[in-house]
Amino acid sequence: MNFNYTRVSALIFLLLFMMYSYFAGEIQVFSFDENADFNARTFPKLISYLGIAVSFLALVLSGNEKEEFGHYEWLKVFILFALVFSYGMFIKSIGFFISTNLFLLVSYYYLGVRNYKVLLFSSIPVVAALQFMLHGLLDVYIRDPFLQLLGVIS
Amino acid sequence: MNEGIMIGIETAFSGYNIFLVMLGCFAGTIIGMLPGLGPMSAIALMIPITYGFNPASAMILMAGVYYGAIFGGSTSSILINAPGVAGTVSSSFDGYPMAKNGQAGKALAIAAYSSFAGGTIAAIFLLIAAPQLAKVSLSFQSADYFALMCVGLLSIAAFASKGQFLKAMIMTALGLALSTVGQDSLSDITRFAFGNINLMDGISFVLLVMATFAMSEAFMIIFKKSDINFKASDASKNKLGSIKLTKDEVKEMAPTIGRTSILGFLVGVLPGAGATIASFLAWGFERGIASAKDKLKFGKGSIKGLAAPETANNAACTGSFVPLLTLGIPGSGTTAVMLGALLSFGVQPGPRLYIEQPELFWAVIVSMYIGNVVLLVLNLPLIPYIARILAIPKNILVPLVLFFSVTGVYLISFNAFDIYFMAIVALISLVLRILNFPMPPLILGFILGGMLEKNLRRALLINDGSYSFIWDRPISLALFVIMIMIVSLQIYQGVKKRKLSPNI
Repeated sequence: MNFNYTRVSALIFLLLFMMYSYFAGEIQVFSFDENADFNARTFPKLISYLGIAVSFLALVLSGNEKEEFGHYEWLKVFILFALVFSYGMFIKSIGFFISTNLFLLVSYYYLGVRNYKVLLFSSIPVVAALQFMLHGLLDVYIRDPFLQLLGVIS
Repeated sequence: MNEGIMIGIETAFSGYNIFLVMLGCFAGTIIGMLPGLGPMSAIALMIPITYGFNPASAMILMAGVYYGAIFGGSTSSILINAPGVAGTVSSSFDGYPMAKNGQAGKALAIAAYSSFAGGTIAAIFLLIAAPQLAKVSLSFQSADYFALMCVGLLSIAAFASKGQFLKAMIMTALGLALSTVGQDSLSDITRFAFGNINLMDGISFVLLVMATFAMSEAFMIIFKKSDINFKASDASKNKLGSIKLTKDEVKEMAPTIGRTSILGFLVGVLPGAGATIASFLAWGFERGIASAKDKLKFGKGSIKGLAAPETANNAACTGSFVPLLTLGIPGSGTTAVMLGALLSFGVQPGPRLYIEQPELFWAVIVSMYIGNVVLLVLNLPLIPYIARILAIPKNILVPLVLFFSVTGVYLISFNAFDIYFMAIVALISLVLRILNFPMPPLILGFILGGMLEKNLRRALLINDGSYSFIWDRPISLALFVIMIMIVSLQIYQGVKKRKLSPNI
């Protein structure tokens, strides 16, 4: 069998659906529901059969699609991914306004923007406008220690 | 029915809702114009804004975004040959050559008039067809709904997967599997949460849509080794030329608009088909019936060649609302996102919607007329200015899309876990997209999963645990026959493809 990315992915899905099937069987149901025609396990079990069947067919029948992973910008994506992650880590502790502006500024800079006017005008007014719209117009409260300290929001 | 229409007109014509249609069309045009961001991303990005709205206003806004995004996609197709939406790829066949010949303004005007006509004619069909279908579907039982949803899932996997049926089916199964995470609606038993408190409520629909479309699209822009500083400023700064059409040109495109709006609407109604298939079919159909002399013009700047896909894709967008509003089954990926949004508002689309919430049902239909007028009146004169959006460099665009996606998800739960989870899902989606795994079947599977389980449970309980409901009821039987036909067609096409290229 000639392995390629499509087949590898089909194999991964096959294993995934087999695991899903196992965990579906492990779902705790009430004792009176154990032998019922339909309980919390039934639908996941059916899905797992479908998943196993189609991923097995994909594994066996897939053509030799060639997919090159080498010519993509993996590093850039991983760094952006890390930035999104860090954004998630800081959004609560330092607040929405500062964390979002930091995220935007660092992302722009990393992607090659060097003009400080562009950097500032594409971040601070955008975040301020969105926060005003959410907080001031739509009444969506976003906790923000920095803006609270400045007395902008209560 | 007349009373319902009046309520719908009253709701849709309120100043607030007219403003929302305008805002939706405008925002949709801008987002749809950006290469890579289609109507699904546009609607996903709009969902957080609609949290404080009533369901009718939210749907009106999202419907406006939908037409706007399709129109915006046409603009980038015509001006820079970079369709923002798959449904407007065929518009570039004749639109871009026209723009290259210095007739960009005319091409955009043809696109706008055709979209307007297609959308308006289809909205009239919708006005007639939707209540009739809603009445018929009142006789549907759980077994029929279960079968209908299976047809919807199968057909979107078959027709919207660009020949990757098995991959689309894997995505469907994955979407269904993801829908089972969290508490079971009947027994309240927690499934597949693995003790993680953040997963006990299930996976958020907005999170999944944002991650698989908006965020993974942003990653994809970076991922491809294209020039990150690329901007289409040259195209947007070029003179567009006159946007006026001559009488002869209008006469030439009028019959095309008539034919392709019917075709587009019918294709749009079918589950799984939609704007992309409709626009390609319309372009091919018009080319097929054209005279030998006209045929030569196709692909080189033919007016008919541009009017046909533009009319059909807008008519199909309107058509795709028929199954959504009357059966509660989305006909396309975009309407699946809208269904998810409606469900999060506590609204269950389907035949009862027509009776229980006529203001929502009719307001959406009436707003389609308003949306089409807005696109024509507001967007056409603004095209030279809107086109400048294309000058936004990708290194500004990508962080902004990431920011809007993260904010949209964070605002639902204020839980940082959702941001981490979203980033991981987006990364996995990116890899899957490179491997040609289509995302719309995943979303449809995820959205229909809960309803599918509920209807299967009811059908089995009514039938004493027997699966005989498949052949007991004529509607279910007919739908299962359709499913067998779809699968057979896919097998036949697969075998044919293998015979043609034995190396596969």
